Amino acid sequence: MAVVPGMTELTAPYWQAASEGRLVIQECQSCGRLTHPPLPACPRCHARDLGWREVSGTGTVYTYTVVRHPTHFAFADQIPYALALVELTEGPWLITGITGCDPTEVHAGMPVRATFRPVTDTVTLPYFEPAP
Amino acid sequence: MTRRAPIRKTAAIAGIGQTAYAKALEPTAWELAVEAVLAACADAGVDVADVDGMCRFTAPFETVSEAMLVRALGIRELSFFAQAPHGGEALGAVVAHAAAAVSAGLANVVVVYRALSQSKGGRFGRADRGAADRSADIVVPEQDNLSLAWPYGLMSPGQLFALWARRYAAVHGLTDEDLTRTLGTIAITQRQYANNNPAAMMRDRKLDWDTYRGARMISEPLRLFDLCLENDGACAFVITSAATARTLRADPVYVLSATQTLSPYREPMGIYTGGEMLELFPPAAADRLFGQAGVTRQDIDVAELYDATSYMTLRSLESYGFAADGAGWRYVLEQGTGPDSPLPVNTHGGHLSEAYLHGMNGILEAVRQLRGTASNQVSGAEIALVGAPAGSATILAR
Repeated sequence: MAVVPGMTELTAPYWQAASEGRLVIQECQSCGRLTHPPLPACPRCHARDLGWREVSGTGTVYTYTVVRHPTHFAFADQIPYALALVELTEGPWLITGITGCDPTEVHAGMPVRATFRPVTDTVTLPYFEPAP
Repeated sequence: MTRRAPIRKTAAIAGIGQTAYAKALEPTAWELAVEAVLAACADAGVDVADVDGMCRFTAPFETVSEAMLVRALGIRELSFFAQAPHGGEALGAVVAHAAAAVSAGLANVVVVYRALSQSKGGRFGRADRGAADRSADIVVPEQDNLSLAWPYGLMSPGQLFALWARRYAAVHGLTDEDLTRTLGTIAITQRQYANNNPAAMMRDRKLDWDTYRGARMISEPLRLFDLCLENDGACAFVITSAATARTLRADPVYVLSATQTLSPYREPMGIYTGGEMLELFPPAAADRLFGQAGVTRQDIDVAELYDATSYMTLRSLESYGFAADGAGWRYVLEQGTGPDSPLPVNTHGGHLSEAYLHGMNGILEAVRQLRGTASNQVSGAEIALVGAPAGSATILAR
């Protein structure tokens, strides 16, 4: 059992790429702005011509918390787990989880890189792990 | 740019009402709403049949509709009703809407209400309320970016505000001990207020430092006592024109200003701010709140700051301008928020220790302070601020 994202026309390409092990961010084809979460128009130039750019998958932890009390039974067996807001090298922020280290080792400014965790047969979530 | 004061003293709170607050009450939210509205009308000295306006929070926060209340209370006709979104960030909005309505003549007697039955309707701190099947995958419908957060187990306000608190500590150089002392000071001070408030759920429960520090971590750095209560109860108040209020009672509480604010990702828990996430609303919004009220920060005698977590009290002291950015934690440690501090805060105990009524109980407490009838009365209180962390607020005066 897993908690999985419902998809919309706007978010489906993001999750589809994740299932292929790629991290993509919405990109305005007119001015080049990267936007996450995706929007129906570029908030900078208002162009409607939007595409997707594969990004490096590297970034740093902007802020984080270690969850020690589950608010949903689906995560009871993952306690404690680290949640983070990661700032990608290219700029946008992602809400994600940190894996690959003890949750207590997570700290603000920590360099991280994307790793992909399948949670069902069809859904893969981008997580982040400490960068070497 | 100078803006005129659109509300200042044209509207007033003429009556307040509330039910008991408890973890579980027998009545439904509908019954609780009826009780609170009747109490508020009785306090104002108005016949409930004469109510012709209502303001409330949007669903799913408010489950009791105007239609349900109009039916249950036998109200002849509403000529004005409005709803405000964003949970606690509706607290200034509902006042603004009601005050604007009576000022514009759209209605004469506007009731604002908030009824909660978390024991029956699901606790806000539990994301799995209503989930029956524990084996099937849970698909999170995309709404306001929740589908990008829930799959990671980021599901509750407490977790989100833990991210803010950690950012605050990182930006301003607080150690874990600094943060613990700051948040604990807020939680313990509010509990002490509640211990002297007969209506407070935590009236008989003392909170000392050993208990605070020893409580379980919920989402680091927030411990159990840094998070608000979950409960049943209802609050209501009556807003009329200032002139009408003066005919109803000798001590109306005037609305000096009431504001809403929204900019990209600054809705509650918007998180993808892209700038500095600690800035929860544009500083111009606070300046507008004070400017339209015609008062300064120094004029505020008492503040009721929306506290889903203790961190929000801390940050709101800064964002409303009572302490400089990053100086709030030292202010809390050195000056405090207690009865003898420069600015008593959450004098009813707040959401941490009186009850959680989505900011509405903070408005009721401000009214009591300005009438001089509060349990923890601030001597000579003339002007009060009630504010939510993302900038929805009101300034009231006697």
